[in-house]
Amino acid sequence: MGGHHGNNDKNGERNMLKISGIWLGAVGVLGLALAAPSEGWAKDQVRLAYIGPLTGPLSSVGIGARNSIELAVRQRNADPDATYEYVLEAFDDECKADVGLRVATRAAADDGIVVGFPHYCSAVAIGAVGTYNRFELPVVLWGAVLPDITYGNDYKEIHRVNGTMINQNEHAANFVVDQGYQTWAIIHDTTDYGRAHNEYFSRFLTEAGGEIVGTFGVTADQQDFSSELAQIASLRPDVLYFGGQAQLGVRIRAQMERLGVTAQFQGTSGILSDAYLEGLPPALSEGTLAFLEGAPVDQLPGGAAFVAAYQEAGFGEPFEAYGPFAYSAASLAIDLIEEVGPDRIALRDALNGVSGYDSAIGEITFDESGQNTVAVISTYVVQDGQWTVWEDSDYASGLRSLRQPN
Amino acid sequence: MSVTTRNGMRDRMFAAFALVATTLLCFAFGRALLTVNDERIVVALLVTLAAGIVLAERRVTRAPDSALVRGAVSTAPAAVLLAIVALILVFHANHFALLLICTLLIYVTVALGLHLQFGYAGVLNFAGAAFFGIGCYTAAVLTQLAWLPHPVVMVLGGVFAALIGLALLPPVLRTRGHYASVVTIAFGVLFTTFLEINETFGGAQGMHVAGLSLFGFDMTRNIRLSPGVTLSFYFGYAVVALLLAVGAFALVTRIERSWIGLTLDAVRLDETRSACFGIDLARWKIFAFCLGNFIIGVAGALFGMLMSFIAPPNFSFSASLMLVAIIILGGIGNRWGVLLGATLIVLVPERLQTIQEYRVLLFAALIVGLLLIRPNGLAPRRMRRYFGEGSA
Repeated sequence: MGGHHGNNDKNGERNMLKISGIWLGAVGVLGLALAAPSEGWAKDQVRLAYIGPLTGPLSSVGIGARNSIELAVRQRNADPDATYEYVLEAFDDECKADVGLRVATRAAADDGIVVGFPHYCSAVAIGAVGTYNRFELPVVLWGAVLPDITYGNDYKEIHRVNGTMINQNEHAANFVVDQGYQTWAIIHDTTDYGRAHNEYFSRFLTEAGGEIVGTFGVTADQQDFSSELAQIASLRPDVLYFGGQAQLGVRIRAQMERLGVTAQFQGTSGILSDAYLEGLPPALSEGTLAFLEGAPVDQLPGGAAFVAAYQEAGFGEPFEAYGPFAYSAASLAIDLIEEVGPDRIALRDALNGVSGYDSAIGEITFDESGQNTVAVISTYVVQDGQWTVWEDSDYASGLRSLRQPN
Repeated sequence: MSVTTRNGMRDRMFAAFALVATTLLCFAFGRALLTVNDERIVVALLVTLAAGIVLAERRVTRAPDSALVRGAVSTAPAAVLLAIVALILVFHANHFALLLICTLLIYVTVALGLHLQFGYAGVLNFAGAAFFGIGCYTAAVLTQLAWLPHPVVMVLGGVFAALIGLALLPPVLRTRGHYASVVTIAFGVLFTTFLEINETFGGAQGMHVAGLSLFGFDMTRNIRLSPGVTLSFYFGYAVVALLLAVGAFALVTRIERSWIGLTLDAVRLDETRSACFGIDLARWKIFAFCLGNFIIGVAGALFGMLMSFIAPPNFSFSASLMLVAIIILGGIGNRWGVLLGATLIVLVPERLQTIQEYRVLLFAALIVGLLLIRPNGLAPRRMRRYFGEGSA
């Protein structure tokens, strides 16, 4: 009996030990579990959304912009004075209208997302702005240039830091007329993007005294331009103006020589991308003109800092033409969130009141449509396979010259 | 007598068990595919799905007459329907999940139309997206007429798709195989090019489409049922899309099981022999082609109203290939395969958004992987059973 008793006692003790051990362990784990997050989650998380092309032919511009926004987020998260911790979620719109609408709905319907940085492709943006308005998600566009995105509606949620094609084409028309050219042929793609480029360039060119000898609309996926270029060759214009995106521009530029079109080639911000340079041998891309809103990025103090930080961050891809705009859009929105808190309505109203904000692309001021009123337009020219700011190029200094007028 | 009653009881118990189990499985799978945001879980889900199909098929071929298999087969349509209804109810306030469900159901409907053409009559149609687009553009134009009720607009979307498809009939009837596919590909390219240069239909930029309104309910706004319960404005679309998909599925099922289905099978399998037996080949090909296009057009009209903005690139040749991929991946000729194929093609790329630029890469690898395991599609068509339960 006694033995049994002793055994029971021993068992009891062992059980007690076991139980208290488990108990202690559990308390320890619980304590750790409670302590650990309280350190890591000291700041409230604020989620931001990038929406743009990450796959497909225009992905290089989209990935550059995504990286630039990611850079703005990292910089702020490294700042101990920041009130919130920022998390960037990136969505791929494939530059397709239906996919864009789906991801726009996904981001906008997610109440945790406070602000969006959407769209390089105007065709996607123009279909998606209604969704942002419906879900009251404030967005700051960094790439799409179609004027109607901001001016075609009265949505308070839509803002844009890059300029529209209106400013760009006015500058472009005056610049090329000043170079002594007199006649133009125009090829544009038949999306609203290409059509609007044609419309504004034609208007400003005629005002500046240039003459348009022929206008050709082509579909955005056309491969062969023999018939258009053969006609243009017989029209003998001084300049061939192209309103469309890089991959189409590459095809047209490559086929020009073959069909005897010797005119100067002039593009828009749509071809101002490394994709244009990579698609052509340097001999063909040499001397191509393009225009971009905003001052050249490395000539502004904020811009130079951005370029240095981007290189230091070690992204695998270049930031491309619209990286500085995306970076500025993100920095602006994050600054305002620090000020008014992560609330969609408050942020929307704060964005609408932005005036004289100092950024990597110069001062940002939104007009009543949410459009940044950028005054400066920069001219770029391809020199030795690189996009070079006109003022810094051999062309401006007279060492090289563009194609001579006929 | 008592034995049959006991068997009947047992059969009903198995059927009830199968119904509950299938519903829960489909619901869980659907819920996961609508919410998961981790590419590893997506891959795991797909592997599970493939394994599940292989196991289920093995079970069905080994013991086709067991009570459980019979129960599972007979209750499967009800189970899938219940699961989708449950998903719509669970996500009643979640805009994005409902948008995905709507898109999925619309693609299922479209693929059922193609399935009728490819799978039964053997008429190749590589312009599915064009007929889908005709439905969309019909909706865009006709919703501008305020007096025209929207259900009528949807039916007219189908009618126009079928009518415009009539123009393709002479070449489709004269050509076979690869040649027939070239004819339809040409039509698809023609269609997008026409839209891009035609200003009346918005040109390359596309057109705005008015939202659906049914019986006085405007489906562009949230529906507030009571203070605590608000239905997403996509809820109405989801219900209509479900009705459409169920209608198309039921129609296709009835056709498959009727003498029409047998006739279409004969036309597909051996034209010479069918003609010898007095089957009018042209008549049945026209029937399948037009009815298929009608179904695609009706779905297109609803899709246009759902998207509210349509543009020619949505209906390009690559979109047609996507539709064909749905029925090929699912298994040509099996209407259940259509459901599986559409689920994969519509939902999986969306769930892979988290891996950003590697998304399409992984998706393509997954599809190739699935086809390696299942070379004839996920659920290839099985032999017709003429005798026993569940025959024909």
